[in-house]
Amino acid sequence: MKAVGARLPRYDGVAHVTGRTVFVDDVRVPGTLWVKALRSPVHRADVSGLDVSKAEAMKGVRAVITWKDVPLLEYGHLSALGIPADEPLLAKDDVRYKGQPIAVVAAEDEDTAMAAVEAIKIDFDEKPALLDVRKAFDPDAPVIHQWGNWYPHFEAEMDRRQIRKGDIERAFEEADVIVQGVYRPAAIEHVALETQSCQVVPEANGRLTIHSCTQALYFSLGVVAAHLQVPLNKLKLVGGTVGGGFGGKVDTATETVCCLLAMKSGRPVRWRWTREEEFLCSSTRAPWHMEIADAVTNDGWILGRRMLTLHDSGAYARFSPYGLTKHSFHHTGAYTIPNLHFDGYVVFTNRVPTTAMRGFGVTSISFATETHMSRIADVLGLDPWEIRLKNANRIADTSPNGISYTDPSTVSVVKALAEGVGVELSAALRAMTRDPREGDLLPEHLVAQVGSLEEVH
Amino acid sequence: MTQATEVLIPTSAAEAATAFGDGSGVTVIAGGTIVVPEITYGRLKPGKALLLARAGLSGVTRQGTTVTIGAGTPVQELVDLSAPLGPCAANVADLEIRSQGTLGGNVCAGPGPDAPRGDLQGPLLALGAIARSAGADGERTEPLDDFLEDRGNRLLLDVSFEEPAAGAFAAIDYPHTHEYTVLAVSGARAADGTLRFAATGLADHARLLSGDPAAAAGEVRLEDDALASSWYRAKVLPVLVRRVLTELEESA
Amino acid sequence: MNLTVNGVTHEIESWPLTTLLDVLREELEITSPKAGCEQGGCGACTVLVDGTPQRACLTAVAAIDGASITTAEGLGTPDDLSPLQQAFTHHYAAQCGFCTSGMMMAAHAYLDGGGTDDRHAIQEALAGHVCRCTGYVKIIAAVAAAARGDSFDLTTTAPSAGMVNVGGVK
Repeated sequence: MKAVGARLPRYDGVAHVTGRTVFVDDVRVPGTLWVKALRSPVHRADVSGLDVSKAEAMKGVRAVITWKDVPLLEYGHLSALGIPADEPLLAKDDVRYKGQPIAVVAAEDEDTAMAAVEAIKIDFDEKPALLDVRKAFDPDAPVIHQWGNWYPHFEAEMDRRQIRKGDIERAFEEADVIVQGVYRPAAIEHVALETQSCQVVPEANGRLTIHSCTQALYFSLGVVAAHLQVPLNKLKLVGGTVGGGFGGKVDTATETVCCLLAMKSGRPVRWRWTREEEFLCSSTRAPWHMEIADAVTNDGWILGRRMLTLHDSGAYARFSPYGLTKHSFHHTGAYTIPNLHFDGYVVFTNRVPTTAMRGFGVTSISFATETHMSRIADVLGLDPWEIRLKNANRIADTSPNGISYTDPSTVSVVKALAEGVGVELSAALRAMTRDPREGDLLPEHLVAQVGSLEEVH
Repeated sequence: MTQATEVLIPTSAAEAATAFGDGSGVTVIAGGTIVVPEITYGRLKPGKALLLARAGLSGVTRQGTTVTIGAGTPVQELVDLSAPLGPCAANVADLEIRSQGTLGGNVCAGPGPDAPRGDLQGPLLALGAIARSAGADGERTEPLDDFLEDRGNRLLLDVSFEEPAAGAFAAIDYPHTHEYTVLAVSGARAADGTLRFAATGLADHARLLSGDPAAAAGEVRLEDDALASSWYRAKVLPVLVRRVLTELEESA
Repeated sequence: MNLTVNGVTHEIESWPLTTLLDVLREELEITSPKAGCEQGGCGACTVLVDGTPQRACLTAVAAIDGASITTAEGLGTPDDLSPLQQAFTHHYAAQCGFCTSGMMMAAHAYLDGGGTDDRHAIQEALAGHVCRCTGYVKIIAAVAAAARGDSFDLTTTAPSAGMVNVGGVK
């Protein structure tokens, strides 16, 4: 192998520094129309009386689309992972987040497209919005999703991810201290410098060429084909350089709409979201609400963990069930805790639907677990390095969902971190390895981890 | 909407004043940092656009101890002036924005939709600045705090003030650029010993303060906005006043 | 109205209040300046107007009638890269490349004005430019290297200065 370990320049580096890299919005095709969307101005409302006739009649407008123009209005992007469809491409009877697209216009120029959007008539009957995941479970909370306020379609129609392992009651009885923490990381915008962009060109042979900023070309190909109800070979996706994605360009947010407008107008179309649209209604990393209570001993063993997670999915499911699933399997982080009581919910709110962002599902628990480990050290008056190395995953320890570790790296990584930041570990800590536990490193609560798994849902 | 009915590009202050008339239906564009995005996003549809790029309103001039700054002067040209105006200008955004944004655009800005605007209003009030402007009743010269009440109807031509004996500027500062100033206090001691204080980050526009930290929050109108709550501003305002007082005392 | 862009003079047909960004991208199809925010907040649209770095998204074209504009395309070509372009290439200062054009115009003006390899001075000059990919370290290293007049081997990239490397990765 010649490339591995070598320091090679980017193959597109020279194009970047000479301004020649072609991003989606840099493609120029004669006769291309500008696209603008009508978006919900409120968090939640029933909608009626959608009338696009004035927009359609406006000079320079070449096509207007609504939910009526979409062959398959709802398609579950992760249906292959068992997540059913719940989200219309364009709003039909109601809107569930501020910024939700309702109708989209293609016109000769940007000003005309904006004027056409303003000419669309629609009636909003505003409804009370649910904006706080904690309120979703109140008996008097508004019900904002056809499935109820939290996702009910995990395997065996479970309404949560649930893990029960070992004997949590005994762990809490035998603990010296219970250390609690509530962790609520907020939503994060991806803020890729390139906003969502798409250009679609209808070809003479009946195909559609789609210039897309998607991070997942084949995935988006499947989504567009499903919404349009066309064979895959009717679509030609052209990717290339994405101006930053970070997980925010996997929602196939623009491609289907542009295809419909290109088909209806017979012209190439171009949609570039503004930075305001991005902040208003592009999907974000999800906010999380995590409550952790750890049963710990005075000498730093974590006997058991009770945990409740509320994942804010926003108005629709998108990839959230998948994120929560990863989260649940990792909810002890890099550490072994044999007695577990975990419940995790994907909760709907009238906020922007949340999506992938760099390690989604797991970054939340990493943050919460690491903070909690330091908190435990603080409460017990112990060294935070010792807490981590003692409870670190070792060979033959088992994960929350019962998988036996064969190659865990916690011990070596923690030691490398100490070295990297110039902390000298004690001899006892330096002597620790990831070898299967024995002697002092195998206290009674860690005996017989395999076989004590009761429920994983 | 980028199609204004009329685009005027005057080449002198007098031409600019005539073009402005009484200001009705006129959109003034100096550096464009505030107005152009409003046009781009379709929130502002200019009827008559008055571009000041060539009106010759730029420049810092001195006559004796009097400093006069043209309304078209880029903020970047003010960063080396003495406190409070210099440090306040240096604190605005970044190099490119300061090079395009003008004193006039900054002083005449209306309240922002999410956060306060008009950073330079504070230092200029503390300096006892006089504003010269054109508009409905012709040319007018008046104290800046009177001008600020009517700034939406006037074309600012220049501001002038006496070089202070000492000045100070204190602001809630974030470590990154492009932060709008949450709250800032300016202070100046004039040559004759008069002390003046002013705050920005308030509702609508900057106001003069008495300089008494304990009274400060009660002297101004504070609002909740995207940057901070009025509660927070009320807590921090006396702190900033005290900092300015300390700096002025130390320079005595 | 007319503009000279990268040495070529064009008669401009867009409306007078059209932004310089839209004139460049739409009328002249010079696409290196990017629409990152259209509010002046990200720096991706920055070009040189008579040598001064300016936000094209905030500039009404009528206000700069007759000006001379430089964009990234005008700094150098793939066969003849400027020292700054070589520095960016060798120091891996671009990942997705979207911020790169604007970043380089600001850096170019900084260097033209006698800017040194002082990290804080470079940060001040580039303070108006957002990059979401690189973390800025290599961008600053590239500008510093160009300021020093380093020469660059474009067949390889520079090692990461200042990183603590635990575990033997080169």
